[in-house]
Amino acid sequence: METFVNICFSTLRMATPLIFAAIGGVFSQQVGLINIALEGLMLIGAFTTVLGAFYLNSALWGVLMGIIAAMLLALIFAFFVIRLRANLIVVGLAVNLLALGLTKYLLQVLFATRGAFAPKNLPNLPPIDIPVLSAIPILGDIFSGHSFLVYLSWLFIFLTPIFLYRTVNGLHIRAVGENPNAAESVGIPVKRVQYWVLVLSGAFCGLAGAQLSLGNLQLFYQNMTNGRGFMALAAVYFGQGRPLPSALACLLFGFFDAVQIRLQTTIGIPPQLTQMLPYLIIVITLALISLRYVRQRS
Amino acid sequence: MRSMTYVWWREILRVILTLATAFLIGAMIMWLSGKNVLMAYKILFLAAFGSSSAIADTLLAATPLIFTGLATAVAFRAGVFNVGVEGSLYLGAFAGAWVGFTLKALPGPLIIALALLAASLVGGFWALIPGYLKARLRMDEIVTTIMLNYVAIYFTSYLVNYPFSVPGLANAMSPVIASSAIMPRLMPPSQLNFSFILALLAVITVAIFFNRTSLGYALRIYGANPLFARWSGIPSSEVILKAMMISGALGGLAGAGQVLGVNYRFIANFSPGYGFDGITIALLGANSPWGVLFGALLFGALRSGGSTLELMMDVPLELIRILEATIIFFVTAQFTLKWINRRRMKALPTS
Amino acid sequence: MSYLEMRGITKRFPGVLADDAVNFSVEQGEIHALVGENGAGKTTLMRILYGMETADEGVIILRGKQVQIPNPKAAIALGIGMVHQHFQLIPSLTVAENVVLNLEPRRGGFFIKKAAVRTVRELSERFGLNIDPLAHITELSVGEQQRVEILKLLYRKAELIILDEPTAVLTPQETHDLFEVLRRFKAEGRTIIFITHKLGEVLEISQRVTVLRRGRVSGVLETANTNEIELVQLMVGHEIIPTIKEQIAQASQEVVLAVDNLEVEDDRGFKAVDGVSFEVRRGEIVGIAGVEGNGQRELIEALAGLRSVSHGTIRLDGVDITYVPNRARRENGLAVIPADRSVEGLSLSSTIAENLISTRYYCSPYSRRGFLNLSLINSYAYNLIKRFDIRTNSPGFPAGILSGGNLQRVVVARELASMPRILIAAHPTRGLDVSGTNAVHQEMLKFRHEGLGILLVSADLEEILSLSDRILVMYRGKIVGDVKPSETNQVKLGILMAGITQIQEGSRQ
Repeated sequence: METFVNICFSTLRMATPLIFAAIGGVFSQQVGLINIALEGLMLIGAFTTVLGAFYLNSALWGVLMGIIAAMLLALIFAFFVIRLRANLIVVGLAVNLLALGLTKYLLQVLFATRGAFAPKNLPNLPPIDIPVLSAIPILGDIFSGHSFLVYLSWLFIFLTPIFLYRTVNGLHIRAVGENPNAAESVGIPVKRVQYWVLVLSGAFCGLAGAQLSLGNLQLFYQNMTNGRGFMALAAVYFGQGRPLPSALACLLFGFFDAVQIRLQTTIGIPPQLTQMLPYLIIVITLALISLRYVRQRS
Repeated sequence: MRSMTYVWWREILRVILTLATAFLIGAMIMWLSGKNVLMAYKILFLAAFGSSSAIADTLLAATPLIFTGLATAVAFRAGVFNVGVEGSLYLGAFAGAWVGFTLKALPGPLIIALALLAASLVGGFWALIPGYLKARLRMDEIVTTIMLNYVAIYFTSYLVNYPFSVPGLANAMSPVIASSAIMPRLMPPSQLNFSFILALLAVITVAIFFNRTSLGYALRIYGANPLFARWSGIPSSEVILKAMMISGALGGLAGAGQVLGVNYRFIANFSPGYGFDGITIALLGANSPWGVLFGALLFGALRSGGSTLELMMDVPLELIRILEATIIFFVTAQFTLKWINRRRMKALPTS
Repeated sequence: MSYLEMRGITKRFPGVLADDAVNFSVEQGEIHALVGENGAGKTTLMRILYGMETADEGVIILRGKQVQIPNPKAAIALGIGMVHQHFQLIPSLTVAENVVLNLEPRRGGFFIKKAAVRTVRELSERFGLNIDPLAHITELSVGEQQRVEILKLLYRKAELIILDEPTAVLTPQETHDLFEVLRRFKAEGRTIIFITHKLGEVLEISQRVTVLRRGRVSGVLETANTNEIELVQLMVGHEIIPTIKEQIAQASQEVVLAVDNLEVEDDRGFKAVDGVSFEVRRGEIVGIAGVEGNGQRELIEALAGLRSVSHGTIRLDGVDITYVPNRARRENGLAVIPADRSVEGLSLSSTIAENLISTRYYCSPYSRRGFLNLSLINSYAYNLIKRFDIRTNSPGFPAGILSGGNLQRVVVARELASMPRILIAAHPTRGLDVSGTNAVHQEMLKFRHEGLGILLVSADLEEILSLSDRILVMYRGKIVGDVKPSETNQVKLGILMAGITQIQEGSRQ
């Protein structure tokens, strides 16, 4: 029972970065741009958050720095894709590469380390005890005591559909994503909307990185994201671009993340196989979705 | 009739501008980090080309990149975004290693030949999975190939951690290949080996393939204009599948080259992203085999020179990665197009 | 003073004078039809009015004041609305959302769905448009989607409404419903300009009609005082083109292409080809006349093997090829000149030689054991360049450098060089100048003499009349006429192409 509680608790923590990144991915998807750069944006966010927390001696400022850094990188991404009409996928991959190189480089140059940067006394995100909830056995242990980012991510899961489906801007985003010509014909500034959305997805990835580095582990190590950005992208595909199903997929992947260590020790399934599982499942599911789509058409 | 030279000129200009910009940005970063930029670039250049051993190391670093660059270029030329070369590389590497440490009884050259064959088959079939999904199910190959990369990396890691692990070793690696299967060295003491020659042969083969074979022709035409290819009767499914098979095979050879020539065994996570570098190189080389060779040599120089730079001036190797990313950004951007268009507009008589 | 006056409008595109000092005026509250053949300049004129193009010369006077219309936004602000042939709708959104897009009722940042739905419902009821504001676009029929476009303009308070070929995509019943709506608009004092090539509709709904021909106004008439024949005469002109082909003996009786009861769906799932049957014999040119959009594209794609057939058969020399892929059809003697030469017929970035060999590259002797015989291909290319008079110095140049006429020569060369038994030529001389057109025609006639069967699909009546041995007319996916060129002329064909099947002197449809 204790293990069960621990696993659930871990799941929620591990899923949070995925959820934030997936929300960024959902917005990009809705505006018609596949965001391959979630990985790189998250990585920059993770790094800059720790950097900011360290130098400014405040967790909050760290998170803010993380968000800003990711937004800046997203701006560069947007500039090349929208203004200079470079290929969306290729530039996305370049953003990931840039983030990887830049973070490794700065890690070496600033802190003279190749592996991890884990300063003592790094301000961390304090766990929050929710008053009434924490008293409840089991549920309290699972849902209370997370960093504020975890709760923030739940808030966004709730807010995102409202924004997309109930506000004017959300309507414009969806219009641009589905038929930019039609949107243009009624006067919606398509490029500007796309710019904003990409930068916004950067902000979300910044939050994702913040939780990953400062929230979960209180450190940064090179290539920390290790494919989580792509997992978030896959979650977006799973959920077909809709916030709630995508978030659920993130929960599932977070579960795998949380559980794989325990699987090794308890059941003895090799960690590499459990790590491989999410990606494999993603490919299979996407294939099944495509299969169904093709069957429908004929 | 517009001149033919106009097109060439534009491509070369683009490459030069891109490289210049990248080096400029690299210079800025180094300057900001307090390094002596001029000295850094001088060391970089010397470390890459300054002596015969430097050149050997450059060619060594370029070897896997030539293969992955070619692998990506073949797919790109057919209009398929194969981002999964890394996966083919890993599986091919393992397949090659397996032959190397299992069929020890056979004569050396035969082991090498079989290892290369196994690597290309395994790498090729691996790439057929996303290829089939694209050809039959119209499934987007980008997300698929990226996901499958992780599957391949983790799976091979599993293989050397469990079934094929060597008891007593801390690191995850396979048994050593037969000593007779080690690729002969070309310029000792450098590790530059016969794989490099194979890589050059691959360049020539791909060039011949593109320009002189009927499949190569079909692939190019399909990549240039898929609608036209259909109207001319060129079977698109076949083209996609074969392109992916070749692409995967080349990726597999990249892995086998590293196993047989450098590591002599399969080491988990051994690739610092050769597959992804292949993408940059293919783009830089405009998907042509000779362009890929140029790009691979350039990056090989950057890599090998970069590690010396790191040693001597404490400039992290990651700077190279930053340069690479910058190159990708600028290579696919459409500046030159806008600039030239604006000039053309002015030249037209006003209507 | 007219409600709208367009004076001296001239618009040039590279190589083409679309509108030539056109004077066009419309009175308030009238339904004014604008007719003409493909390329007569009607759509261009309206695009100028709606701000999607700017005229090179001329002025627009609206409600007595001269106006500038640099873009659609300006047009909308002036109360002009346009329903295009291709709808600009967002499929997964509802009708209400599409209609109010970018002019939404809002509170803070929130979209007040209820208000939008209410407004749209009111508009819909007021004008008898009968659309459920909560329906998603994907659930609507084509006619209903069009009405959503109309709602969009009404929401933006359009006073002058332009409809570009609105009935091209409608069933007769939907057309009837649309006309009811238009009459309501008229009753409210709104003004309507109606572009069409269907003359029966012109007579049914409009008060006046302007006829354009080759960029010039050839007539402005009161609808009540005219009839189809007069309109067709104004549209196509009176000339009778002398046939330029020799009077050879009748084509042989050997049937090379037999199409039987063919049904083909378009991309939307509607029947584009609806029970078409015909035969082409050796040495015969069968022309299919018809305005674009009546199923010709789908028919050609089906014949080429690029679109699946839902019913019926296609036989080549007696062999059933209905489900056979394109390459196999070509191997059996089929050749196709596609309608869109730069996208379907050529790869502009590839060399001329590569374009010439695209259908035969894999056959011996051009290819042996997977390897191309480059020198043979090169000499083959030179051969074709000479034979078909392609103006270029070398087959090694990228095809993109060639002019339109030369590009088409490349396509024709490639298709005819394989000595096919049947050639399907889709709009083969579209966009070509006189010499280019002539060249293509000469080649076709030459091969006809050698026994090639040709199916010529074209909207150019001169071409059809001068080349065909037999003429079929296609309208709404069906063959509505089968005549010999000696028995018909442009006027009669024009009438059939416009969907009018029975004419009695002085009567209306």
